[in-house]
Amino acid sequence: MKPGNEENERMAEDGIPEENSVMETRPLRLSGSQPFTQQPGVFIMIGERTNVAGSPKFAKLIKQDKYEEAVSVARQQVENGANVLDICMDEGMIDGVAAMTRYLQLLASEPEVAKVPFMVDSSKWEVIEAGLKCLQGKGIVNSISLKEGEDKFRKHAAAVLKYGAAAVVMAFDEEGQAATYEDRIRICERAYRILVDEVGFPAEDIIFDPNILTVATGMEEHNNYAVDFIKATRWIKANLPHAKVSGGVSNISFSFRGNNKVREAMHSAFLYHAIVAGMDMGIVNAGMLEVYEEIEPELKELVEDVLLNRRPDATERLVRLGETLKGASTDEVSEKKTEAWRDGTVEERLSHALVKGIDAYIEIDAEEARVKLGRPLAVIEGPLMAGMSVVGDLFGAGKMFLPQVVKSARVMKKAVAHLTPYMEAEKAQMAAAGQEVKAQGKIVLATVKGDVHDIGKNIVGVVLACNNYDVVDMGVMVSCEKILERAKTEKADIVGLSGLITPSLDEMVHVAREMERQGFKLPLLIGGATTSRVHTAVKIAPHYSEPVVHVLDASRAVPVVSSLLSDEGKPAFVTEHRADSEALRKAYAAPRLQVLPLETARARRTRIEWRAEDLPVPEFTGIHVLDNFPLATLREFIDWTPFFHAWELKGVYPRILDDPAQGEQARQIFMEANALLDRIVAENLLTARGVYGFFPASAVGDDVELYTDETRTKELEQFHFLRQQANREGREPCRSLVDFIAPKETGLGDHIGAFAVTSGIGLKELCDGFRAGHDDYNAIMAEAIADRLAEAFAECLHKRVRDEWGYGRAESLSNADCIQEKYRGIRPAAGYPACPDHTEKGTLWRLLDVQANTGMLITESFAMWPGSSVSGLYFAHPESRYFSLGKIGRDQVADYAGRKGMTVAEVERWLGPNLNYEPAG
Amino acid sequence: MQKTDKENMTQVLQHPLRKLLESRIAIIDGAMGTTIRTYGMKEADIRGERFKDSTKDLLNNGDLFSLTQPGMICDIHRRFLEAGADIIETNTFGATSITQSEFFVDDPREHGGRKDPEFYQKVIDDEFLNSLAWDINEQSARQCREIADRVGNETGQQRFVAGAMGPLTVSLSNSPDAEDAGFRVVTFDQVKAAYKHEARALIAGGVDVLLVETIFDSRNAKAALVAIREVFDEDGLTAEGRELPVMISAAVGRGGETMISAQTIEAFWIAMEHVKPLSVGLNCSLGPDLMYPFLAELAEKADVAISCYPNAGLPNPLAATGFDLGPEDMARYLGEFARAGLINIAGGCCGNTPEHIAAIAKALKGVAPRELKGAR
Repeated sequence: MKPGNEENERMAEDGIPEENSVMETRPLRLSGSQPFTQQPGVFIMIGERTNVAGSPKFAKLIKQDKYEEAVSVARQQVENGANVLDICMDEGMIDGVAAMTRYLQLLASEPEVAKVPFMVDSSKWEVIEAGLKCLQGKGIVNSISLKEGEDKFRKHAAAVLKYGAAAVVMAFDEEGQAATYEDRIRICERAYRILVDEVGFPAEDIIFDPNILTVATGMEEHNNYAVDFIKATRWIKANLPHAKVSGGVSNISFSFRGNNKVREAMHSAFLYHAIVAGMDMGIVNAGMLEVYEEIEPELKELVEDVLLNRRPDATERLVRLGETLKGASTDEVSEKKTEAWRDGTVEERLSHALVKGIDAYIEIDAEEARVKLGRPLAVIEGPLMAGMSVVGDLFGAGKMFLPQVVKSARVMKKAVAHLTPYMEAEKAQMAAAGQEVKAQGKIVLATVKGDVHDIGKNIVGVVLACNNYDVVDMGVMVSCEKILERAKTEKADIVGLSGLITPSLDEMVHVAREMERQGFKLPLLIGGATTSRVHTAVKIAPHYSEPVVHVLDASRAVPVVSSLLSDEGKPAFVTEHRADSEALRKAYAAPRLQVLPLETARARRTRIEWRAEDLPVPEFTGIHVLDNFPLATLREFIDWTPFFHAWELKGVYPRILDDPAQGEQARQIFMEANALLDRIVAENLLTARGVYGFFPASAVGDDVELYTDETRTKELEQFHFLRQQANREGREPCRSLVDFIAPKETGLGDHIGAFAVTSGIGLKELCDGFRAGHDDYNAIMAEAIADRLAEAFAECLHKRVRDEWGYGRAESLSNADCIQEKYRGIRPAAGYPACPDHTEKGTLWRLLDVQANTGMLITESFAMWPGSSVSGLYFAHPESRYFSLGKIGRDQVADYAGRKGMTVAEVERWLGPNLNYEPAG
Repeated sequence: MQKTDKENMTQVLQHPLRKLLESRIAIIDGAMGTTIRTYGMKEADIRGERFKDSTKDLLNNGDLFSLTQPGMICDIHRRFLEAGADIIETNTFGATSITQSEFFVDDPREHGGRKDPEFYQKVIDDEFLNSLAWDINEQSARQCREIADRVGNETGQQRFVAGAMGPLTVSLSNSPDAEDAGFRVVTFDQVKAAYKHEARALIAGGVDVLLVETIFDSRNAKAALVAIREVFDEDGLTAEGRELPVMISAAVGRGGETMISAQTIEAFWIAMEHVKPLSVGLNCSLGPDLMYPFLAELAEKADVAISCYPNAGLPNPLAATGFDLGPEDMARYLGEFARAGLINIAGGCCGNTPEHIAAIAKALKGVAPRELKGAR
């Protein structure tokens, strides 16, 4: 039904201003759950069967409270091609506000219908407003008019705009309905000016209804009604920019009630001419339209004579012809074409019905499947569950939306409802035969304590209830005690927990633990946005012996619950689920190496052949304090590479200075650093202080004992070490620092060194000074330099220690070699990879009396103050080397806790990153 | 017609935030909830004096911190501003009588009852809940106002406060009753009343814009927008030309539809367009990568500013922040969106800390905003 070429000629006749004919008309844009944009030249069909005034059948359904069937009327309209649905509840016996609200809320749950925009149709404003409150999209109000004066009109128009809808404006004013062409255009223009100029209503959202009035009534003044409508339409489209034209088409043929053949022909012919004139849309029975070209020529001519008022006897002639056609007419809309999906197997049909949410044949199909499969339960657990799984997959992939899933669940419910009597009968038989009968499954659902989100859980509840489970929804913020108490009193079969926010995860763990403690035997379901399959398997499931199943979304709840509650299905499901969870836990733990038992690891200690000549004796034992150590000396030992890293320049000094990309920047900061360093050294802006010492020592197990003197009779302190437990391929040992000290049983007198140095004294004052002068750059620079000086101090002191230990004097190494640690011996620090336990610094502080000797402090978290400080131990054996502890097992943690006199929990807290397991709590 | 449009345009044009949006991409702050968690607050901290006798746990009712721990909340606002946020949101995501009722009113479902419009009417009329909702909104707005102005003055760069109106814990589009798809626990008018109260308190506290956000139910959002319109009209703001700009932001699922009411993004925009918002956009629910196609669609269809503040990836209960993406990841994604000409306002939702926002601000510096006219 597209306007033909004559359109242009007629427009010219009407004297349309040039500019308007080139100006692009803005299309009407509407929406339901999906967008709808008017396309040029395409007529918009507004379905009229959901109108109690137009459809006695629909009115009856509403009056009898048969809303479900009334919803199917809407669905048929959409299936028949209606672009918009007109919904009207104006009938004396119907409470308009309540019916409009209820019906629209039902349609919102019907995805195939909810996608189209709705037209809220009423002569009562309160019914219209009730309808507007129910639309999530942009609909149309039908109608507003000047009938009750301009003030009311403005008020209503502003309200429509407030809710965001288009509006049908009737050609009606204080004087009544416009019947003549002149009245129609006068009122429409007046309304347009008020809407556009005063209310600010978008012109493209104004839809005029210039009154389609009944023709062929036998009254002469009615004969020109169709012509006047068409003329008025043409005028509106030419003179009121962007405005649209609509009308209730069936009015035109009202005098031929009962003669559908004539009525269909009249509608088609009328629309043909009105659309040519510019009519944009109409309220029509989408299933009851003859194609204009296919109207019998004789009928067409007589119909057009009437519509276009071409001859005075037109009505008489059409009435006569109509009588002869009456017998042939049928009230039935042409038979529905057989839907292709009905040709599939019963399993395919059930699946299709579930996925599409079609309940029309579900009972027939469920019955057919029951006969085919023998048992009602086999239908539920077979094809129906398979269909719901497809729904779940599509939903998970973002190809189905939530309301559709809920709709599918409702179709499922119908199928189950059909099968229930058969299941009851089966149960009765079983009971009569003395067999055990299982009651309908009961599920207690709750959003855990501390969390208030329950919309998702509500949907799971609806879907489960639709599948015939007895759902007890406890709401939100429910404490563990209440959930478990209710589960007991209700004799629940399953408990389901929901939560959206992160802290809810811990609460779920708590509930699982409590269920274990109280000896529950029910499966536990876990759901909600922050939960996950992996988290459930790794963090929750280990606390509870019964199955703990993560349910991704509502569509997954049914297959899971049905499996868990089925005698036949449960064992296989549980076995598979446990295997899955185990695999998830393994995958989660995968980056970790398998750890060896501690005893095995100890047996694989570093093999060292202990010889007296490898154990030099230091020049002194006890401690030495270094106060005000010369910064100029330390400067020579600076390793500059980490300095550049601190400034995010990645490269190795000195090559980085010539790097094509970073070289210039590197040279710049290197120059500035040295300038500042010059100042620091010259003005003694920082003070370097340190303390170190040598102590007679022996390895005992994985500890090192330090003695007060060479008699080795009195123990001074003990250092505790950890051992690698990774199961590495080949013959790599399981190292521990203790391996590099001669064991007591060798009878050889070994020594260990210890040190603590700082170059940070005065740093705070220096930085504060820079910051006070708004020189943050130099403040950071000073910190970076102080850090380097502290490291240099450790390196420099290590050189001195090696000399004093005797073996260093023969080194003849350059400072660069020292930085690259090309020497014998190591100086590992507590908190670093070889000995990650920071608390060992406590021992070091006591041993060297660090605080009194240097002013360096350790905080409660064993951090050193001031920041630019280094402390550690010295090992002299030629085999000693750095390594990384890696992951350790529970056995070593327990053993270590015993050696250190700490609780296991404390040790776990300090060694978190090194644990090869998830600590409790 | 043209006249009215033009008037509206000039009105909007005059707003300094609109001006900012024309010159560059504005930065909106990150997540309040996930950031609060890093302060290690305990139940006693959130209760303070005012709520010390409350029977239910309140720790996850983060909006209350604006009343009981203003120091921490202001610290978070300040950190976001210092990270480069032009717009901060009030800490009022759940500050309506309806959402607060979950924490202060006995849940009838625990005793075999149900939540229905009768229950919620009591909530709407409840004096305690109303004054609580008012206090949270007004106080939070004042706190934001003060700190935004202070940082604005210190940095010579004006900062804006968006009054956050969250999605509520009830849905107007969904029935929790398996037997009756036409049932709703709450009515449109009740939802509207709660939102009107919230909007008035936010305006009283001095916000610059109202932000209806994390929309997963379009009908809830409509009630919020109708509420805002009625407040403007009834309180004389319309007459005096003092209407606040409105920002709208939806939370969509993997198929690009609003999470609960399943409305596609173009349908959503058509339904909200009449509000003539300052901006429309997407936040929460998805990470930036999954959000991209829907953001691109919205940017193509809508002719107002486009906002985008996604989650830091998808929730990952095993990650340290609870979300997948770090600051650099977010900066990279939003940088790509910006260079593709899709956005005018950028920031982060759940899982985005001040560090994330700083990284985003840095990445978007100097990138031209999406052009503001001639879309559709």
